[in-house]
Amino acid sequence: MPAIALLPHVAGIGLRAPHVARVVAERPAIGWFEAHSENYFVDGGPALAALEAIRADYPIALHGVGLSLGSADALDAGHLAQLKRLVARIDPAAVSEHLCWGRVDGRHLNDLLPLPLTEEALALVCNRVDAVQAALGRPLLVENVSAYLRFQSDTIAEWDFVAAVAQRTGCKLLFDVNNVYVNAVNHGFDPLLYLRAIPGDAVAEIHLAGFDASGPCLIDTHGARVAPPVWALYRATIERFGPKPTLIEWDTDLPALEILQDEAAIAQAIILERSDAVTA
Amino acid sequence: MPSLREVQRSFATAIVFGDNGAIASLGIVPGGLGADERIAVYRNNVLGNYRKALAATYPVLQRLVGGRLFNIAIDAFVRGYPSARGDMNRYGGELGRFLSFYPPARELPYLPDVARLEWAIDQANIAADAQALDLATLAAVPENMLGELRFQLHPSVQLIASPYPIFHIWQVNQTECAGDDRVDLGEGGDALLIARGTSGVTVERLTPGAYAFLVALARNLRLADAVERALAAEASFDLSATLKGHVAGQTIVALRAPPTSQPGISA
Repeated sequence: MPAIALLPHVAGIGLRAPHVARVVAERPAIGWFEAHSENYFVDGGPALAALEAIRADYPIALHGVGLSLGSADALDAGHLAQLKRLVARIDPAAVSEHLCWGRVDGRHLNDLLPLPLTEEALALVCNRVDAVQAALGRPLLVENVSAYLRFQSDTIAEWDFVAAVAQRTGCKLLFDVNNVYVNAVNHGFDPLLYLRAIPGDAVAEIHLAGFDASGPCLIDTHGARVAPPVWALYRATIERFGPKPTLIEWDTDLPALEILQDEAAIAQAIILERSDAVTA
Repeated sequence: MPSLREVQRSFATAIVFGDNGAIASLGIVPGGLGADERIAVYRNNVLGNYRKALAATYPVLQRLVGGRLFNIAIDAFVRGYPSARGDMNRYGGELGRFLSFYPPARELPYLPDVARLEWAIDQANIAADAQALDLATLAAVPENMLGELRFQLHPSVQLIASPYPIFHIWQVNQTECAGDDRVDLGEGGDALLIARGTSGVTVERLTPGAYAFLVALARNLRLADAVERALAAEASFDLSATLKGHVAGQTIVALRAPPTSQPGISA
């Protein structure tokens, strides 16, 4: 595989449409941006042109939401071809997707749905990750998702499932600390147990986001500041894995760019504390 | 133990159709929340995503029918027209068609055409880019060859005709519109050009002649045939001004090679 420039081990921000004009015009001080791949599955137009302009000045990670790695349906060859075309155009520092499913019998639900944690699902996902990595000619980063239910048929702990995908396919992991916390609360486990099961060398990126606690369970809305217990878990994550590229994700009720920069600054401070400890 | 496909099939049925049998067959771990409440979280997320995405594509439709009815219509649309792809950019184009036979929309017969207009605007934003056609290229064509020319329109171009005044309806329902928002449905129909230019997507009213002309060019007819159709639609059609205007405005972006004749196949 050809050498690919990696993401810097600093904090970045999710690029969202309402902020694009400002980013293009002002080139704000931000380590890197992550863009949702599917938003750029277009033939042309201003959005793609803006992403190319931003790419000229910042590292970009492409983050997929629709490839549906865990669907019993076959991998969507058209989707994969579009992703490949976008990767060639943007030359991103990372390409990621979710450990979930979204399509069945040809109907896509366009959401990140939970897999039964079974050997059948694990084998299928590994197969798909292999196929995607072969098609793209580069490692895929696979992200753990929030889940609001578990199946009685589950036979594997979530953290073992995630670790096995990395181990069997050689893929990298996008470790979403907020999703770990949300699942720990929703399903009653110790998030440090999860952390200890993850091979740190495989973790190539970290996600941080805010959840919604007003409903019957924690919901991963990406619509608030990172919660204090998630910052604590992030600190433990960085202590365990060392400094990693860390992204602030915000989708619902998107605030001004400055708020995202504030959040990124908190993550950056935690990364620096750890880097200082390593060099001291 | 159900197979992965069986689990996913039941999950989708439970989310989209709220099917209790499907929920029961999933074998969801109880504890704290019931299986139906857990599925409801996903149903709200999934339907909420579609409502939000389609409200962004169809802001005028949403204003015309109101947020509550819009959401009900979108939920019904999603059941009838599944998304086939993992990217949402191309989902929702059938909403106009759906509304044309959706019983609650029967009193608003112009809705489907307003939907077609909003979809055209949405898709024009993500269509391919194209270089402008140099007027000098056109001027260099010998006069006796002009009638044989065929033209390529900008990939973003869409042409929409409606018996309803959809442009006026669309205009008065823009958020920045502060004036009189009444529209007389009897004021006549519209023929519209939607295209992306250097300053973004624009909607332009066309004369009947210009509309017939551009539709003919989009169908790859010869210039001579396009002019004939334009004159049939509008006796005062001005070819020179229309052609120059739409080349300069980048509606027309290239000359097309004539279709190659295929011996043995009659048209």
